[in-house]
Amino acid sequence: MSTLTDRYLAATLRTVPAARREEIATELRGSIEDMIDGRRAEGRDAEAAEREVLTELGNPAKLAARYADRRLQLIGPTYYLAWERLMKLLLSFVPALVGLVVGLAEGTDGNGGDAIGKAVVAALQTTVNIGFWVTLVFAVLERTNAKLDLPEWTVDQLPEDHTNRQIGLVDLAASVGWLVLVIAYLPIQHFRSFVPDTDGGNLPILDPALWSFWLPFLMVVLVASIGLEFAKYRAGRWTWPLVGVNAALNVAFSAPLIWLISTDRLLNPDFVNRWEWLAQPENLNNVATFVIVGTVLIAGWDIIDSAIKAYRNRH
Amino acid sequence: MGSDETLRTHLQELRRGTVVVASLIALRHPDYGYALLQRLTGHGFPVDANTLYPLLRRLEEQGLLTSEWNTEESRPRKFYRTSDEGESVLRRLLDDLAAVQTSLTGLIEGVGR
Repeated sequence: MSTLTDRYLAATLRTVPAARREEIATELRGSIEDMIDGRRAEGRDAEAAEREVLTELGNPAKLAARYADRRLQLIGPTYYLAWERLMKLLLSFVPALVGLVVGLAEGTDGNGGDAIGKAVVAALQTTVNIGFWVTLVFAVLERTNAKLDLPEWTVDQLPEDHTNRQIGLVDLAASVGWLVLVIAYLPIQHFRSFVPDTDGGNLPILDPALWSFWLPFLMVVLVASIGLEFAKYRAGRWTWPLVGVNAALNVAFSAPLIWLISTDRLLNPDFVNRWEWLAQPENLNNVATFVIVGTVLIAGWDIIDSAIKAYRNRH
Repeated sequence: MGSDETLRTHLQELRRGTVVVASLIALRHPDYGYALLQRLTGHGFPVDANTLYPLLRRLEEQGLLTSEWNTEESRPRKFYRTSDEGESVLRRLLDDLAAVQTSLTGLIEGVGR
């Protein structure tokens, strides 16, 4: 039967680089035996002395790390801040984006009921994946001592007005991410809506007739909104001119949307007729009312919110 | 988390670097791990075994210590000795320690005045 010391040595040496293992083993065994002898000279019995000495040396994994000069942290101070920043940036918009794409794909695929559930699951999975992979990469960097060559911090990086900044980089990334997605969705739904028509072809969700003017117009408004986001970020806060432009853009987007859906011109008639439920006039009306109320609420709140923030900045 | 804990961590930080200095001085006379541990403790440098043993190896890798196996006694022992390079590093460290002491004395007297 192996002694406690044998087991302790085995446990320690398991993670020490092989090249040095034997020498460390001989030396450490000698040191342990010296320490045990020292205790026995003080009158302890052999077994108690061995236990005490090994307890004093402590967790073998920790001792091995000291021998191998290995780190006992996943991500140390060299990389922690870079890790934190990247995590915050990615988590601020990627899971929501993936959730939205999956939700839209499912919803337009005719699985309306499952869409929200699948979107939430996809967003959660994305969150976990981002967390895992980013952390893994940084843990490897930590262990390989890789140089990141990140630019040194300079005073020029100090935020313009730290206490009063309302719009940070994360807000900018999130807003622009959403807008790009919506802009991309307009042409995508025309060519690939995931809704097959009766012949198995593609069925656009929005009325293709709108491409002559209204859909390009809405895309232009959305592109202008991206410009507004950048202007907002540069200003760092809401100002009255920004509130004005924001209100104008909100109206420019919402008004056509409301007008088109209330006159039954937004959705592709073929798409509507494809669904028995949607094709019934009262249901279609309900959907239209829902979209109108939602649009008014969202646009209204956005305008009010920006005005409140601009007002607070003044006072 | 009382003031005892705070005091303990500050003392630990203050002592941390001195173990290297003490080891380099003590190993002007070659010695093996456990005997060095005893000597340091006897001279008022209590140091944990699990700190000292890996430290000796690290100093050896840095070229500040040389080592030699002695197989004449009952069990083989690795004897460490301060190298020439270790000696010159030690001298710099001692100078710095003296400088710290001088600066502290100056500060204390300046405050007292």
